[in-house]
Amino acid sequence: MGVSHYTVAGLTMIGEPGSIRNNENTPGGRAGPRVDRRSFLKATGTGLAATGLAGCLGDDDDGTVTLGAMYIFSGFASLYGDEAERGFDLAVEEINENGGIDGQDVEIIARDTEGDADTAIRQMTSLIEEDGVDGLFGLDSSGVAQAMAPQVEEQRVPLMVTHAATPFLTSPEGEHDNSVGNEWVFRNCNNLSIDMYGAAQVAAELNATEWATIGPDYAFGYETWDYFQAYLEGLGADAEFTEEQYPGLETSDFTPYISSVIGAEPDGVITPLWGADLTTFLGQADEAGWFDEIEYTLFSVGMGTDLPADGSPLPEGQHASTRYDPFVPESEENETFRETYYEEYDTLPTYNAEGAYRAVYLYKDAIEGDENDPEAIRDTFTGMEHSGPVGEYRFDEETNQAVVPAIWGAVSQDEEWESNVLDPVDVYDVTSDELDDLLADSELPSGV
Amino acid sequence: MSTGEEGIADRIGAFGHEAVRNGWTTERFALLGLLGLVLVAFGPTFQVYLFTEFMIIALFALAFNLLYGYTGLLSFGHAMFFAGGSYGMAMVLRDLTPHVADVVGSGIAPLVTFGLGAVAGVLLVLLIAIPVGWLSVRLEEIYFALITLAFGMLVFSVIIQNPGGLTNGTDGIIVTLGITEIAGIEFRLGDRQTYYFLTAAVVLPSVYAIWRVVTSPFGTVCKAIRESPDRAAALGVDVTYHRWMTFVVSAAFVGVAGVLMAGLANVASPYHAHWTTSAIPVVATVIGGATFFAGPIVGAFVFLYVRWGISRFPALEAHWELFFGLMLIGVVLYFKQGAAGGLLMLRGWLLDVRGAYDRGGTDAAVAYARESASARLGRTGGPSETEGGERE
Amino acid sequence: MDLSVILWFVSIADIVIGLSLGSRLFLIAVGLSLIFGVLGVLNFAHGAFYMIGAYVALAVTNHLIDNFWLAVVAGALAVGVVGVLIEVGTIRPLYERAEGELDQLIVTFGFVLVIHEVVRFVWGSQPYSMDAPASLAFSVSIAGSTFSAYRLFVIGAAFVVMAGLWLFVTKTYFGALVRGTSSDREMASMLGVDVPRLYTAVFFLGSFLAGLGGALSAPLQSTSPALGDQVIIDAFIIVVIGGLGSMFGAFVGAMLVGLMQAIGPQFIAAGHIAIPFVAMVIVLLFRPEGLFGGIGE
Repeated sequence: MGVSHYTVAGLTMIGEPGSIRNNENTPGGRAGPRVDRRSFLKATGTGLAATGLAGCLGDDDDGTVTLGAMYIFSGFASLYGDEAERGFDLAVEEINENGGIDGQDVEIIARDTEGDADTAIRQMTSLIEEDGVDGLFGLDSSGVAQAMAPQVEEQRVPLMVTHAATPFLTSPEGEHDNSVGNEWVFRNCNNLSIDMYGAAQVAAELNATEWATIGPDYAFGYETWDYFQAYLEGLGADAEFTEEQYPGLETSDFTPYISSVIGAEPDGVITPLWGADLTTFLGQADEAGWFDEIEYTLFSVGMGTDLPADGSPLPEGQHASTRYDPFVPESEENETFRETYYEEYDTLPTYNAEGAYRAVYLYKDAIEGDENDPEAIRDTFTGMEHSGPVGEYRFDEETNQAVVPAIWGAVSQDEEWESNVLDPVDVYDVTSDELDDLLADSELPSGV
Repeated sequence: MSTGEEGIADRIGAFGHEAVRNGWTTERFALLGLLGLVLVAFGPTFQVYLFTEFMIIALFALAFNLLYGYTGLLSFGHAMFFAGGSYGMAMVLRDLTPHVADVVGSGIAPLVTFGLGAVAGVLLVLLIAIPVGWLSVRLEEIYFALITLAFGMLVFSVIIQNPGGLTNGTDGIIVTLGITEIAGIEFRLGDRQTYYFLTAAVVLPSVYAIWRVVTSPFGTVCKAIRESPDRAAALGVDVTYHRWMTFVVSAAFVGVAGVLMAGLANVASPYHAHWTTSAIPVVATVIGGATFFAGPIVGAFVFLYVRWGISRFPALEAHWELFFGLMLIGVVLYFKQGAAGGLLMLRGWLLDVRGAYDRGGTDAAVAYARESASARLGRTGGPSETEGGERE
Repeated sequence: MDLSVILWFVSIADIVIGLSLGSRLFLIAVGLSLIFGVLGVLNFAHGAFYMIGAYVALAVTNHLIDNFWLAVVAGALAVGVVGVLIEVGTIRPLYERAEGELDQLIVTFGFVLVIHEVVRFVWGSQPYSMDAPASLAFSVSIAGSTFSAYRLFVIGAAFVVMAGLWLFVTKTYFGALVRGTSSDREMASMLGVDVPRLYTAVFFLGSFLAGLGGALSAPLQSTSPALGDQVIIDAFIIVVIGGLGSMFGAFVGAMLVGLMQAIGPQFIAAGHIAIPFVAMVIVLLFRPEGLFGGIGE
């Protein structure tokens, strides 16, 4: 630990160590020399202003493969960025130690989207126009991802989304009013639609009919609820939907919302709260007697938040999902990744770490033996078959969505790993046709 | 009497003579400035982008200062007009592009829709600014700052509530400018250079228009109001009406800046209406010098380019707000003329040094420089009313 | 109309939550109002002061001594000292300036930026949570809802602070000076009041209260650098509704806004964020002195 994995080739020329995150900063994930700004002046181009030098320094031909990583590195959701960084750091280290990509080192330039579309677009512009990246990956927020999709199409640069989950991102433009999918945007983890399919399967098994939600006040919160309802109805389950609450992002006291949900007396609640909001919520929900009053709580971003957060953990016995489980599948590839990761960071990998890790390998596999050209990479990604810790999967040719299963399980504390894990864990394989069928009565696209 | 052609030739000749005779005339500066503008367009993409943004923020601040610098009303809610412009543009682009294409054909549709969006943005701003201004100008000082803050945040909260599905809530509206095709030639309006020239073509006339407003009799009345509202009222000026009109004009130009921002940022974000965005022109204007016409422009330049400069130092870049916070405090406490005032003082001082050089050569110039520098250093803080302190 | 009709719409739990939110807002707003009432300064950085209080309390319990009550005192005192430094160093020179009020607003806004960055530099941008003191770490059931005892304690603390301030301002000699100076500064000065010192003392008191509020609130909410920006706008709304300069107005305004935030999500999900701003605009237009005027009222 603590060794910088990055190659410095090209860096001296750019003279821009600030845009490269040093690994030294990883554990605490703060005070790193990165573009990092929270509340003030959202409207101006800080992203750009705070980063690259001149556009003429683009480094297409300097013998490195440069990838742009865009995650949330500051504020309430910075833990996702920190996790992702561990993942792509590990991948870069492994790849560069083993001869790079066709002999070229990989270099990753990480940028903070702040979870804000405006900032994210500026950061993307800077990565493409300043740093001349060969490809982009990342994105945590669905709102940001939806704003980015038309931009990467216009800039003609491939984008591998590793966390943002909105199905509209991989629903081809025109399929639905909100669809923004296009040939340049891919996603290597499961999406909200797949995840809610799993959630509905879990919910249908439970002894619960009245359902409620408490989610963040933006597309991701509403979509989770829409898809959850649509799949439950598609499965023909006996369910009523009684209460919905959408506190704003970075709410510091959820108590009024918690009280409203408890007041509605649902049997079960699905919550897509995420980041520090989830941690804050858990503490305050516990205080208000939530887990005594409400039988089942389904945490859809649960395991991605539980492991890295240093606040209230998910209560044992509740249901949580993950987009990758460190123990599923029981393959050699997964075991190696889990062990290496644990050795390096002393914690189990989250799905965000795995998604970022795998994104680097996807670029490696796409570029290797082929030319390093945006269109060539895009064409290789389309319909690509690939395998990684998450298992073997392929990208759907129409949507560019990786067809990976939904994973839900019960939260339980594991002594060996000193951490919460999902045990027992259920894997729900999906096919695009099946999801489309279940959603037929709603107007929602499956995004698979 | 000469023909038109000769007239132009004469004028160019006269201009040349004058330039040689007078040295740095305004015209020469203007010409050089224009040349610079064209040169920037062929610089690195990033610099083009940064300069485009500078022009937009400069217009934002300049329009804000029409109210603050010229009538003494400090608005902490001008972001509502910035957002008004960007949302007007974004909503038109989102909803009307197909309809426009039906009417004018799909080739030229993106350009026409952009024009419609700009008009819609400014109209939307006027629709907000006329009643809001009418109500707000009844209050002064802190109370005016508070009511504009309240109105601004009201607009912000309406936007994030996504009324009628119009604003797309906290996610904002994506702006894509599309590909325009005229007579077989395709171009992207969102192309860095194209958008740069477009921005320049809008911002320069806007700046000139604002200049005309402040130098008009209307502007004179505004200044009188700022100096003493009571005296102006005693002279028969309808103070409230003048403030209202200034408020509306100021808002309209902020709306223009917002329209341009939507295209540059590619998104109309609710944060365009947030009070932290309202703080941008305040910071730029105070740092640049509210008492000068060009103050907000200089301030916007400092704001964007100093920040870019800070970004050269990785240890500092994450904390550039600290720098602007300190600068704000320093300027208000010790140097109200701001950066524009500082530049004018520097110019005055350089002229004096040259005067000394003309009189007594290098030694005299050096002596003068040393003397004046030590005199200045000896004087503690305090706003110094020196050369060029006139309010335009 | 029978008041119990209200309870049909609003549960006891909502009222408790509203008072809990309101009591925290009160501790920020009352200092803001006090400072404006006496000094005529609208302190934009007051939300940032509140935030410092929370961070200092966190730092003390994490690194120095694991005693909650000492941490709260330390948070409040630290903010009081910061306030004094800022008042003496940067606000005092502006009292005599023609456009002093706006200049003070801008200077204190400068401190919003400075404090935000310093906090981020020292503590990073991720949120922290803090445990309630062990002596109050139990739950209480009211009308079928569960609350932590600490939440109820903070509500009580706000009432105690309000009562204490009222006694202080109306019954003590210092209070008389404060009231006198707020209504007529020059008269007070002629009568031999050391106005600058009084100003500094009041600024200390207002800042101290913000720090106290921040430290007391730390176990009830997450503490992040965004906190200051979030609360200052609420505080502005409260002091405007209650009346700039009125302590009692700050109390009533804070409780109103707190209740609005607690009840809003259930009834008017689509509008509850906008309502406080509408209220602020209406009060400014029709009763700019606020619903309650005067420092001692």
